[in-house]
Amino acid sequence: MKVTAPHLGTAYVPLKAVFEELGVEYIVPPFSSSRTLSLGTRYSPEFVCSPYKIILGNFIEALEQGADTLLFIEGGGLCRLGYYARLIEPTLRDLGYSFRMITTRLFERRVLGIPGFLRLFAPDASLKQILRAMRFGLAKVSALDDVERAVHQVRARESVQGAADQVWREAVGAIDAADSIDALKQAQTKYVARLHEIPQNEARRPVKVGIIGEFYVVLEPFSNLDVEKELGKLGAEVHRTIMLSNWTWHSLFLSALGLSHHKQVHQAAMPYLHRDVSGDGWESVGETVLHGRADYDGMVHLAPFTCMPELVAQNLLAEVSRDYQIPVLSLTCDEQMGRSGLVTRLEAFVDLLRRRRKSK
Amino acid sequence: MIRIGTPRALFFYQYYPLWHTLFTGLGAEVVISPPTNREIMAGGLAGMVAETCLPVKTYAGHVAWLRDAGVDWIFIPAIRSICGTDFNCSKFLGLPDLMQANVKGCPPILDIDVDASKPERTLERALQAAGLRLSKDRRRVDAALAAALSTHHRYQAMMRDGLTPMQAMVQLGFLHADEAPSTFHPPFTPPFQGGAGGGKASPLTIALVGHPYCIYDTYLNHDILKRLARLGVRVLTCEMAPAEGLMQGIQRLSGEWYWTYEGEVVGAAGHYFADPGVDGVIAVAAFGCGPDSTMLAVIQRTARLESRAYMSLIIDEHSGEAGIVTRLEAFVDMLARRKAKTR
Repeated sequence: MKVTAPHLGTAYVPLKAVFEELGVEYIVPPFSSSRTLSLGTRYSPEFVCSPYKIILGNFIEALEQGADTLLFIEGGGLCRLGYYARLIEPTLRDLGYSFRMITTRLFERRVLGIPGFLRLFAPDASLKQILRAMRFGLAKVSALDDVERAVHQVRARESVQGAADQVWREAVGAIDAADSIDALKQAQTKYVARLHEIPQNEARRPVKVGIIGEFYVVLEPFSNLDVEKELGKLGAEVHRTIMLSNWTWHSLFLSALGLSHHKQVHQAAMPYLHRDVSGDGWESVGETVLHGRADYDGMVHLAPFTCMPELVAQNLLAEVSRDYQIPVLSLTCDEQMGRSGLVTRLEAFVDLLRRRRKSK
Repeated sequence: MIRIGTPRALFFYQYYPLWHTLFTGLGAEVVISPPTNREIMAGGLAGMVAETCLPVKTYAGHVAWLRDAGVDWIFIPAIRSICGTDFNCSKFLGLPDLMQANVKGCPPILDIDVDASKPERTLERALQAAGLRLSKDRRRVDAALAAALSTHHRYQAMMRDGLTPMQAMVQLGFLHADEAPSTFHPPFTPPFQGGAGGGKASPLTIALVGHPYCIYDTYLNHDILKRLARLGVRVLTCEMAPAEGLMQGIQRLSGEWYWTYEGEVVGAAGHYFADPGVDGVIAVAAFGCGPDSTMLAVIQRTARLESRAYMSLIIDEHSGEAGIVTRLEAFVDMLARRKAKTR
């Protein structure tokens, strides 16, 4: 059995760790590229949202590498995400691939559903083995997020552009290679320290930007043309509300901490949006309110073209932006997105934030 | 007397008789916006983010019209689920808030939460809650609700017998005959039992699938029904299919029921693909519709696998009618030639 799953930022690292702990071969699909996108687009419905097109491309490229078992985690989205699998499977079969497709709605039984689910791949694994694999995978998720948060801080202040990203790339490699919890802890500490050693321009006072939106385009840099990196280059410190770890923890355990934060977000959104519109729409509105109350200079809102929950949010954000005096830049992510258009808009936005801050 | 506005958009075609009977039964006056026109459309485009789908923009235009008409309340339901396991588009859930935020000076909204997966939020319970905001007398509310539901069932039965929503509403007295667009008068579509086809000189039969707010809004779709009638085509819509037919259609084409309004698109297409009396299927979808972007893919694949004639038309706020007319004519020509050959 050769398992694969579509890319979602660095999620391939923990997924690979879990499967390899269980003795199952895991194929990391080629990193998303223009080939991935054009393959995906060619076989996708024209107006489907962009994550579908990239995910389909990932699957095709993984099948080309010999994968025979496709894992698709449907997560908690009740939007088109829940319909993806029933389009992807026949499309790939029509293309002549043979494979087994396993989907899961992670939210349904939360953490209790995981052992049974993993046994679909490793029928003989003992509960102890499974728990160890899960623990290892989750440890990798939190190590990655820990380092990435440091990257967000340093990127906006570094003296030599690109230094933080260089360390980040090495860190992902080292975390991927770590074969024990101890090795993982060491890598995590080492790379966070290395990031903080990067020479920083003390005179810089980065503007603070919150990133909100639909979770796939927020977490997958390929789909948003590396918007965080571009913001960093422009001297903006990014705070991303959706990190892989809090998403995983919330969906698996509804951790006490995560739950209370969610409640807070929903309460903040209430005056503008009274109902959970599924996906991340409620969160986008609520987080903008919370960031507006805190000392953030602006928000960047990411959404796939025609994303249903995010369009609800986008239609309401103008009002939130007025009420809390926080500028919001909504960016639509799809295969038509161009880098120079994106950079121009980000430059203008960051300029605006700087000027506003000066006049305060 | 309290005046309640109901927009002639989105759920109007499925539920207007139900709402009208309930509210008038409780002593309110129900005000309905006129059929979509250029001014209404412009009003809707003004407030919403450009990327928003056409039907929701249209809805905003109708809400703005009702605001100008000076109604006291606007009735806007938030429908999450109608059978318990289905998922509705986020925009339907956010509809009351979207209108409040984007229609300037929007009157107070009478909203209800419909979610069949929760016993306290079924359509009946939700309407009862709305009724109790109009009258404190519970018995009176229940009586009005019972009358409204029986009207609703009669309305649905009439459509299954082959009437379009507009025809049925005229017959039930909810619309004046001159208020319903001329399209819906004879000679277009006499009550007709599906699947009868066959006779020597029998005209072409085309099934038009899609959401009622796409099929029956003559402004948005450039009066497709009238154009098909002029081309001598008999038209079937999803209301004319039995509920089991729609269910089987979904099961055959896409598996489980997922989208709240999957029946009128995937279900209807599946049902009419299986009907040998139907010569072709046309899906009408609105630009920017999320659920439709996936459902049309399912229909298209089935059409290919089963070698059925199928065409999709995407309507938007600036689609010139020439494009639609040309494609309709070409499709009908193709079906006629095909039928002549096989005879």
